Amino acid sequence: MTVFRSTGLAALILLVASPASAADSSGARVAEEFARPALAALAGSGETLTGAIGALCAAPDAEKLEAARTAFGAVVDDWGRVSVLRFGPLATGNRFERLFFWPDPRGLGLKQIQQVLAARDENAATPEGLSQKSVAAQGLPALEFALFGTGAESLAATDDPYRCRYAAAAARNIANVVATVSEGWADGSDFAAAFASPAADTDPYRSAAEVDGEIVKAADTAFQYIRAAELLPPLGKAIGEANGRRAPLWRSGLSFRLMLAQIAGVRDLVAVAGYAGTGPAGTSEIVAALDAELETARAGLAGVATPPQDAFADEADRARIGAANLALDHAGHVVADRLAPALGLTMGFNALDGD
Amino acid sequence: MLDEPLFLGARVAGKAYEVAVIDERGRDRLVLPVEARGHSFAIDAPRRLAVAFARSPGRHAVAFDVDGKGEPTAIVTAPGRHFFGHGIFTPDGRLMLASESDYEAGEGVTGVYDATGGFRRIGEFRTAGIGPHEIVLMPDGRTVCVANGGILTHPDYERLKLNLDTMKPNLTYLDALTGETVEQVTLAPELHKLSIRHLTIDAAGAVWFGCQYEGDPADRPALVGRHVRGREPELFPGPAETLRALDNYIGSMAIDTSGTIVATSSPRGGLIVFWDTATGRCLGQQQIADGCGVAPLQQGHVLATSGRGAIDDMTAAASLQIVAPGGGVPGWDNHLRRIG
Repeated sequence: MTVFRSTGLAALILLVASPASAADSSGARVAEEFARPALAALAGSGETLTGAIGALCAAPDAEKLEAARTAFGAVVDDWGRVSVLRFGPLATGNRFERLFFWPDPRGLGLKQIQQVLAARDENAATPEGLSQKSVAAQGLPALEFALFGTGAESLAATDDPYRCRYAAAAARNIANVVATVSEGWADGSDFAAAFASPAADTDPYRSAAEVDGEIVKAADTAFQYIRAAELLPPLGKAIGEANGRRAPLWRSGLSFRLMLAQIAGVRDLVAVAGYAGTGPAGTSEIVAALDAELETARAGLAGVATPPQDAFADEADRARIGAANLALDHAGHVVADRLAPALGLTMGFNALDGD
Repeated sequence: MLDEPLFLGARVAGKAYEVAVIDERGRDRLVLPVEARGHSFAIDAPRRLAVAFARSPGRHAVAFDVDGKGEPTAIVTAPGRHFFGHGIFTPDGRLMLASESDYEAGEGVTGVYDATGGFRRIGEFRTAGIGPHEIVLMPDGRTVCVANGGILTHPDYERLKLNLDTMKPNLTYLDALTGETVEQVTLAPELHKLSIRHLTIDAAGAVWFGCQYEGDPADRPALVGRHVRGREPELFPGPAETLRALDNYIGSMAIDTSGTIVATSSPRGGLIVFWDTATGRCLGQQQIADGCGVAPLQQGHVLATSGRGAIDDMTAAASLQIVAPGGGVPGWDNHLRRIG
């Protein structure tokens, strides 16, 4: 199977090889056409990043640092898509937090990575050692600081081998966590079986409604996360309170690329679930309404012209970001108030957002 | 009239948030419009006084006479603090304590308010944990039991949970007058993601706690426990099918009027489960879609409310619908409380 890199081929094989009931379910489609390709892409870009940092450490120069930074951007794009699957294998064993410890209002990640670098902590310079450290020191935000933060230019010279060894360990650790998540989604795993073909004796899902509930909740959770963790804190209540340094990945300038990948991920997740084609009458209109909101959000964030550090305090960009934030809020309402009931899901006032 | 049981709940009518006093037939006795979604209440039954809290991370509360006499008093917590939505009065009616967060420090506190002086905030006690949720007054009238749920939040980040990897919930007993921690218990280390959130006290004075699990959903740990002062907490899983139906989430707890039957709600599972306080045995369960509010009605009976507006009179063995859900009736929020 590994020779078939094309997702189209993989999907075709599934259709031939699997029982019709499984291939027909929203869970089967999400597993095969969204989760596995998205994870395979993240695994691939993670390997490229690990290789690029390895090459940088072996013979540091500005060109290899640039290549490592470019590879980091590709990982962020792929992570954005995967991040919307915040349930099952990614939600187990702190894996989401190990990959992306965010939000971090008290700056734990920055404190820890600075300590690690200052102390040249050997335990943090191997993937195994790092995997035992605080999640805040492990994932993409920590690696971003190593590659883009204060002092990162020393990676291009030979005088800071520790920082490069830490970065290499972080990249490998990220790849290891992704591999574990991929195993959880692999064809034949208990989770994937329950997700694709829920039945009375499967766990954690026993019915198609429970799987649809998970998919719909994942979409809603992703919108809440983008707004509450990524957009609203740097936006502040007024322009005077704007602080782009509260945005994720502002040092690399990748903040909006991350959010665009997340938005595209949700759109594709819902599209692949197939509700527009298989749901009850009216579902197509609801999915179209969702897509329209997501397009507004995408256009707003894609139009941001200044770096994340400045964009939230720039009047024109602030308006673009505000429009995107509003569209994501609306998108959440479309999912919770219209799509969920159309699919017959009973997500109540208390059940959906309890305390 | 004063002996008639009354109940207090937060609800939403259309898009308008309200606090309502209802009787045992579900009829409105008092409706107070509020600006934001409410949660639970501190109640001083002898003085017919209640405080309605905004839900986390709200900073506002309102004190009012449950019979509608006089003007309500607005309460705002201190800068850098927000409410979690629960509170108690001391038996003399002088102090009101509310579960709150000192969110920059990432520490739980109980705000202490002068209930006889316009609810001025006169101080605070550390709860020796993060994310204190429900607090209850012990039968001695002086010790406060706090469910430190362990989950860190910050109002700038809405309701996102910021520390699931390191959360460490506990049950802490504080002296309401001095703030001193007199006892603290935790669950086993492998249950560090089992957030202890809701509390009720049985006739023997044991604290019953209801949990919400933040770990792998497939783990399905027991969610209901009992703690007797000076002993280790015990957990009661109940039947496997019931535990699964609870879906890793207890939304509210109540004890019946005899103090021997605990009711626990799960809005996610749409059911109320009944437990025997002597043995921890599961006595039965009733369905109520999006049901969360539960309050003592009579021996063996609780009044249960749902987000769709249903009000049911339930026992472990039977359920009688008093108000049907839907059709424009107000939807009830997480907690229903009995006054007196």
